[in-house]
Amino acid sequence: MLRFKNSWIIFLLLALFTVGLFGCGGDSTAPAGDENGGETPEEFEGEVLIGIMLPVTGAYSENGIDMQNAVFLAVDEINAAGGVLGYKITTTIGDDECDPAKATAAASKLVSEEVVAVVGGYCSGATLPTLKIYGDAGVPMVVAAANATSLVEENPGWTFMINSTGDMQAENAVNWFEMQGVETIGLIDDGSAFATDLKMLTKSQWEAKGKAVLTDDTVTVGEQDFSALVTSIMQAGPDGIYWTAYHAEGALIVRQLREAGYEGVIIVADGTSAPAFIELAGEYAEGVFCTAPPFADLNPAAAEFVTNFKAKFNTDPGAYSGLTYDATYLLADAMERAGSFEGSAIRDALAETDGFQGISGEVMFTERNTLGRSNFVILVVQDGNWAFAE
Amino acid sequence: MSFWEVFLQQLFNGLLIGAFYGLVAIGYSMVYGVIKLLNFAHGDIYMTGAFTGLIILGFISAGIANAWLAIVISLVLSMVLVGLFGVAIQRVAYRPMLKAPRLSILITALAVSMIIYNSVLLLTQGQARPFRTGLTGESFYVGALRLTETRVVLLVAALVLMFLLHMFITRTMYGKAMRAIALDRDTCQLMGINVYKIIAVTFFVGSSLAAAAGMFAGVYYGTVHFFMGFLIGLKAFTAAVIGGIGIIPGAMLGGLLLGLLESFATQIPGVGTVWKDVFSFIFLILFLIFKPTGILGRVESERM
Repeated sequence: MLRFKNSWIIFLLLALFTVGLFGCGGDSTAPAGDENGGETPEEFEGEVLIGIMLPVTGAYSENGIDMQNAVFLAVDEINAAGGVLGYKITTTIGDDECDPAKATAAASKLVSEEVVAVVGGYCSGATLPTLKIYGDAGVPMVVAAANATSLVEENPGWTFMINSTGDMQAENAVNWFEMQGVETIGLIDDGSAFATDLKMLTKSQWEAKGKAVLTDDTVTVGEQDFSALVTSIMQAGPDGIYWTAYHAEGALIVRQLREAGYEGVIIVADGTSAPAFIELAGEYAEGVFCTAPPFADLNPAAAEFVTNFKAKFNTDPGAYSGLTYDATYLLADAMERAGSFEGSAIRDALAETDGFQGISGEVMFTERNTLGRSNFVILVVQDGNWAFAE
Repeated sequence: MSFWEVFLQQLFNGLLIGAFYGLVAIGYSMVYGVIKLLNFAHGDIYMTGAFTGLIILGFISAGIANAWLAIVISLVLSMVLVGLFGVAIQRVAYRPMLKAPRLSILITALAVSMIIYNSVLLLTQGQARPFRTGLTGESFYVGALRLTETRVVLLVAALVLMFLLHMFITRTMYGKAMRAIALDRDTCQLMGINVYKIIAVTFFVGSSLAAAAGMFAGVYYGTVHFFMGFLIGLKAFTAAVIGGIGIIPGAMLGGLLLGLLESFATQIPGVGTVWKDVFSFIFLILFLIFKPTGILGRVESERM
């Protein structure tokens, strides 16, 4: 009997191992870009370590992995061209899972690995608590995507945001609603830092125009049934709806709104710009607008990047890869200009950035370390793909 | 929309989500009834059911023209497979702990939950998957009430499953044995009931109902992801407590009540969607304070 019991435990352990191995196997193939550890030409004087903080697992890993691949691509190109100051760039990952608690751990891990700088930052909520950690450690960070106002407010001076800020996105949405002849709107967020911020900014800008916000809702992340919300929106009947959070719930909300017969203008924010949104919402996604960052796939200036990205990783670059690619190059550029890998020197060089030409446009920082211009565009779902809206 | 139209629509919304909560809550309640365990892995069983259904549907939908037929076949297969999965979990993780202090088995349940959750996270790379059924989602009106075929069928199916379960519990020897074990396990053993077998049957039934709910959710919402079981697990647990944990009709009632509460809370000015969950959890707290045994519960001397 005892033997039988033991064999059960062994079976369980084996099963766990198999799952673990299989799972890890599947996982490690995803970031296929580890190839930058390939051939090291003789002339490198040493290696310089850059941290990547992104959600490479979890619900937002699709964007996270695309962005990580963009870093790998940029690093490979920089190394092939002789590296930075004669040093070869190597990378290490801190997986924030788009979760503030995990992000704090990831940031501490990166700092303890003594990275000279960090690139990444997808979810604002997860990026927010890490700013102080990097600031205290004197590690400069270039944030590629996250753009909530709170990031600007909490920035201890070591963080540089190359995506336009939330108020510019709100302005973009408000203008588009007006162009579509929308008089009243409904707003929905998911309670996350970024989405709430964008919602409040949109609300104040819309009301400043003397127009009404009829519904203002917050959904719970992980919820699937929004029928009660949809009914209350249908009752209020706004002409347009702006969903300011991410694609997992966004797809469900759009689907349930359309199923319930909602025919108004629906705009989703950049967090929902992932192709997965269209896949999940299916035909219900048609005609949905998006206030999006400059998508590399649709940007003629980024054609070469898109070709290289597809050749290397076998997928489309996604919404933020272009910005992440720029962020990596910007960091390398700042190190060259600083002439050292000292954190404060890199930070000062970043702050002095003037007219850095990336594939997503020119980079120049305001005194609060944010991008000095709006880079948002309006996309629309057409025949199952994102296209520029006209 | 007029007041009554909104009222009817929210009533239907609440009943449907409530029926899903009820199906999951039954599993919580049954397991608590027989082995006094809060099976935290139950939400993950729901999620496993959705994914199993999706995989089976992917295999068979090409060969079957009728979307509903394909769904029913994968529903049944998913219920059986996940039911067996539940039994396996019970055999491997819980049965060796039955004589251990209650806290140990509770922690085991948490561990099982994490293992399932993280395995699915790794296997799916954390991505949400579309659940394509081939149903059109055409809507029609009954009076002022806007309905879709899917919603009506799912609500009826959920209620039928609950009814069948009720018959199983009240009219079969297995059901009788389950109720007896809930009252006094040791005496049942002395009376010649194969307690372990009945516990296994309990897990089978509870898990397959959760799998059915997961599959329904996939069909209805069109998306499945690895964390879909977390929130509904929490809500179903709330429903089970409101109804009186360990009491099966209570779980159904609690589920429906919670669903209705949430959907009507959305209409209350100042509560809305923002405070909807807070509203329903306040309800849970009120129940715990004023009627800790739940709606259908009787006073007991020992509680967890």
